[in-house]
Amino acid sequence: MAVNSLTMTALVLLYLAATLVIGYIGYKKTKNSEDYLVAGRDSHPVIIALSYGATFISTSAIIGFGGAAANMGMGLIWLTVLNIGLGILLAFVLFGKKTREIGQRLSAVTFPDLMCKIYKSPLLQYIAGFIIVISMPLYTAAILIGGARFIEPTLGIPYTSSLILFALITAVYVVFGGLIAVMYTDAFQGTIMLIGMTVLLALTLMIVGGFSAGAAALTNMADLVPKALADQGMTGWTTMPVLGSPIWFTLVTTLVMGVGIGVLAQPQLVVRFMTAKDNKSLNRAVLVGGPFILMMTGVAFTVGALSNVYFFQTSGQIAIDAAGGNVDAIMPLFINGAMPDIFVVIFMLTLLAAAMSTLSALYHAMGTALVCDLWGRGKACALSMRAHQYGIVLMMVVSTALAFLLPISIIARATAMFMGLCACAFLPAFAVGVYSKAPSTRAALWSMVTGAAIWFVWTAFFHAAEAKPLGLCQALFGKVALLGSPWNAVDPIVVALPVSLVVMIVLQCQYGKEQPAVPATA
Amino acid sequence: MILGIPDPQILIGYGLAVGLALACIVYGLLNWNKGGNSDGS
Repeated sequence: MAVNSLTMTALVLLYLAATLVIGYIGYKKTKNSEDYLVAGRDSHPVIIALSYGATFISTSAIIGFGGAAANMGMGLIWLTVLNIGLGILLAFVLFGKKTREIGQRLSAVTFPDLMCKIYKSPLLQYIAGFIIVISMPLYTAAILIGGARFIEPTLGIPYTSSLILFALITAVYVVFGGLIAVMYTDAFQGTIMLIGMTVLLALTLMIVGGFSAGAAALTNMADLVPKALADQGMTGWTTMPVLGSPIWFTLVTTLVMGVGIGVLAQPQLVVRFMTAKDNKSLNRAVLVGGPFILMMTGVAFTVGALSNVYFFQTSGQIAIDAAGGNVDAIMPLFINGAMPDIFVVIFMLTLLAAAMSTLSALYHAMGTALVCDLWGRGKACALSMRAHQYGIVLMMVVSTALAFLLPISIIARATAMFMGLCACAFLPAFAVGVYSKAPSTRAALWSMVTGAAIWFVWTAFFHAAEAKPLGLCQALFGKVALLGSPWNAVDPIVVALPVSLVVMIVLQCQYGKEQPAVPATA
Repeated sequence: MILGIPDPQILIGYGLAVGLALACIVYGLLNWNKGGNSDGS
């Protein structure tokens, strides 16, 4: 890296110091368990929007998916469409307001707690809490590994120490300051991300001569698509893959639908709605949230795709070849090669901020699920701040240990896997729960269990991208996936979510009126 | 070819991404003072 390492170290330390100071302010404002769990239900709209957005966007969204756009082209912009349309507009307007109203009325403090109180079913709380405690450490470990891999070369700290340091520094302000500290630091980190991505877009457009000229140059490179990708349906970087081809299925079902829909029922994001004082706060948060997400994923996907033009003009290679076949290396290589030194520092801080903001939210969601929804459910300690602090520390240790154990090949899949599972298990029950006047507990239970079970079976035995690194299908049946193309490229969400939805609707129609639960409107 | 992009599916994607972000701004402005506790909502 061309940047002076002393400058880089100084700026990273300054950033960490600022994060800890902001976390300390959050800690001082935390007086009771409601502050610790739902930020006192009085968060500022801008803080809600930036916290939601920064939690939503992790390093993998910028590096991993930016690299995917460099490899597969601008079709990934459809994920941005879903990110804003579903992840912000639909999430805040349709689900956010209802969640806030019901959460406040029922004094719910976590996502499983909300489900339990809506459906009057402790079993639902246990199941939702169990799914979170089992699956979220996987996603958390991926974020930890991504952060440690960034810290190692940037600050020259060995990988093991980087991972432990990253885990501990983030845990400090989450453990002591709870959700107020998490959301304050998220807002700070979200602002850094916004600055970083804005500068990245401006500099990239300058390098390729503007959007139209860059896209036209990219269009003219269509004949450079590698034969292996062309055989699977890729037609260029400014055109969609051939309909129904393996690349099309991966782009549309895994990347666009899997991640785009998955965001709707993520427990750590749903809790953000419960931190709003009133619906006015959520209305105002929409104004910030939409443009924020456009500047995150929209910029990452555009810059990723256009990086091919830069690499071709400077080295005669397309991005994936210049990066030695490593998709995750494309964005860092582009930044290091094409950007001024000072921006390399800004971008590194952007990545660190993206990783920490997501990590802190996951720590909080896992720790509170463990204490409030599983171990302490129904006991006095369910609302004890001290118990939650222990819970967060325990889940931090579990996630860190998992980060050391996980094979690298599973890491890139972790984001899509977690989001897919959340959608399949939680989305139908969550949607009916906040809208129906007589939500059926039986429908919610079966929908949640069916969605999670089918998601797992399809992930482990049918979807090659996950079945291969998991190795379960290979061990039991002697092959990577049970079905061939195109089924082995179809994401689990495409199969499990419709089944979960049908189960929810059919059982809701049958049993919904028999057991009036908590009315959805005040 | 508009904006250097030959595929309408990609152009529509960009149009929708920017349009939805603008819709968020418009929604936030139109509902800036709606939904306060005093509204009873």
